[in-house]
Amino acid sequence: MKSCRVLLLSALLSFSLSACVSTGSTSSPTSGGGSGVSYGDSKAVETVTTDLGSTDIQMTAEKMTISMLQHPLLQDIIRRRGLLMASPVENKTSEYFDTKLITDTILTQLQKNGVRYVIAGDEMQNQTDELIRQNQSGLYKKSSTAKVGNMQGAQYRIDGSVSSIVKRSASVKDVYYKINMRLIEIESGIVEWSDEKEIRKTLNR
Amino acid sequence: MKKMAVILAIGAACVGVCLPVHAAEGGSIASKIEELGEMDYLYVTDMRAVRRDNLLRIQFTVTNSSSSNERLYYRFRWLDADGFTVWEEEPWKPELIYGKQDKVISVVAPTFKAVDFKLELQSPHNTTPSERTGTADNPPYH
Repeated sequence: MKSCRVLLLSALLSFSLSACVSTGSTSSPTSGGGSGVSYGDSKAVETVTTDLGSTDIQMTAEKMTISMLQHPLLQDIIRRRGLLMASPVENKTSEYFDTKLITDTILTQLQKNGVRYVIAGDEMQNQTDELIRQNQSGLYKKSSTAKVGNMQGAQYRIDGSVSSIVKRSASVKDVYYKINMRLIEIESGIVEWSDEKEIRKTLNR
Repeated sequence: MKKMAVILAIGAACVGVCLPVHAAEGGSIASKIEELGEMDYLYVTDMRAVRRDNLLRIQFTVTNSSSSNERLYYRFRWLDADGFTVWEEEPWKPELIYGKQDKVISVVAPTFKAVDFKLELQSPHNTTPSERTGTADNPPYH
């Protein structure tokens, strides 16, 4: 009799558990529900406006990285453990966008392939600040501080520009972008590699 | 199917080093392609792969069987010898294929580590194999 009751209880328990599994739903690990905000695919083709967008930046950086990787000089730089740097890319369009998005991605992708690069431009301030803090604040052990005067200069720099032609009619807006990138030997000024990416975006009203 | 029957041509005859066996083992274009649904008008009719300067190079031809222009979205997944991905997720790339056009698309792997690949394809005129009507629910664009 007792074993019968145990059997009945376990049957009821398993039934109620299976009912929970089959009919219940779980909560997603999110907060702020109902705000209308959701995460999308950062690699999706973005067609919100004709302005330069994430897809354009991603495709441009990818093309330039691959083009550079194929160049014998870059493969030689990797072998010699030479140093690169990126100069600011000139924005000749009428739009505002941060051109560092392009060069930062190129440098990151090149570094994954063994290219070494040095910081330059506005990133230099943090570097010099830290060197000064370590050497002049008196807070650090002399034996552990990074010495001043040992930073290395790059042999090559990446340079480039973004230009656009905008055409409008009553029903159509057409934007043509041309992104040009170059790899220049700093000492001689010789352009060792260059490539360009063309993008056409059309809006039909 | 037409595209299933086409043999993956490895560029052994070309200058350069042939792909390692595992990359060519699939033998057919279908083994290298992942379609999000089934494209109604676009077909990959030729695909070649060769390793040159330590980089994997792929060339594939997309044929538009429709007389209208068709949109194609594609990207590659780069793999090592064991089938692990060796590069971050690529952005989807849009491509316009004119009516009745055979478009040749050439790409190079972004890393020296890639020895194999998968090609992901999606077209807005796209149906699931079981449902031959309607369009794909989640095309890779917004």
